[in-house]
Amino acid sequence: MSESVPKTLAVFTGISVLTTVYLIFVWVPTEATMGIVQRIFYFHVASAAVSFLGFFIGGIAAIRFLNKRRNSLDDLSVAANEVGLVFAVVNLVTGCLWAKPIWGVYWAWDHRLTSMLILALIYIAYLILRESISEPGQRAVVCAVVSIFGMVDVPIVYMANRWWRTQHPAPVLGGEGSLDPNMAFVLFFTMFALAMLFWCLVRTRQGIEALRRETDALRREVHALT
Amino acid sequence: MEIEVLKNLQWLWAAFSVAWALHIGYVWSLSGRERKLRSELEDIRNMLQEHNKSED
Repeated sequence: MSESVPKTLAVFTGISVLTTVYLIFVWVPTEATMGIVQRIFYFHVASAAVSFLGFFIGGIAAIRFLNKRRNSLDDLSVAANEVGLVFAVVNLVTGCLWAKPIWGVYWAWDHRLTSMLILALIYIAYLILRESISEPGQRAVVCAVVSIFGMVDVPIVYMANRWWRTQHPAPVLGGEGSLDPNMAFVLFFTMFALAMLFWCLVRTRQGIEALRRETDALRREVHALT
Repeated sequence: MEIEVLKNLQWLWAAFSVAWALHIGYVWSLSGRERKLRSELEDIRNMLQEHNKSED
């Protein structure tokens, strides 16, 4: 990992992630109906939670950037959104691989799955847009607006299986379903470990964005000299 | 019954492998980007230094 991540944070994250693997594969009881494949649930749900966290941090940093025009807020926004997208893709892929043995298909065009896919597509568009605008000030403002737009979609994805009838299971936390206390513990621990991993990746990505800004500024200086 | 468990284990294994492959791939891409930017930065700094020397 890069210099932007303190060693203690990296070590603590590594230990947390390894503990998560032990808890999921060895410690947690097997679910009665779905069997061993249900263990995908911990990673699948935790990845979704961390991606939502990323999109919220990215959106709030974008709002603050539009207010204060500080480059560090733009760096945080792009870092949180990009890492959030990685977790969203992990959520989508693990969902497909869980759906196949349980539903018999990889994908169903229901509200929860489709809204999550749209959310991921918004952030893919955000990253493409970011690469396509060369003027740094304009790039930051346009991307901040898209980031806020993406953040607004997060509650829609979260509420999709409450607002509409979907094939996706009912919420197990804060909904009608109930979760075994051991399973709930593993789920929360996985969320915590992935949130730590998220933070390490965000710090690294922020460092890269700062480097990119410095490189662009020096390149402009060279351009002005020649 | 045992076949069913093994089949399910394959799906579990596939999901975890893909998830970790995505994370490792992303970390790989981050380190590549960082390395590229650092060497670019070094080149530009050297270029600026040489330019300043020639002006002196």
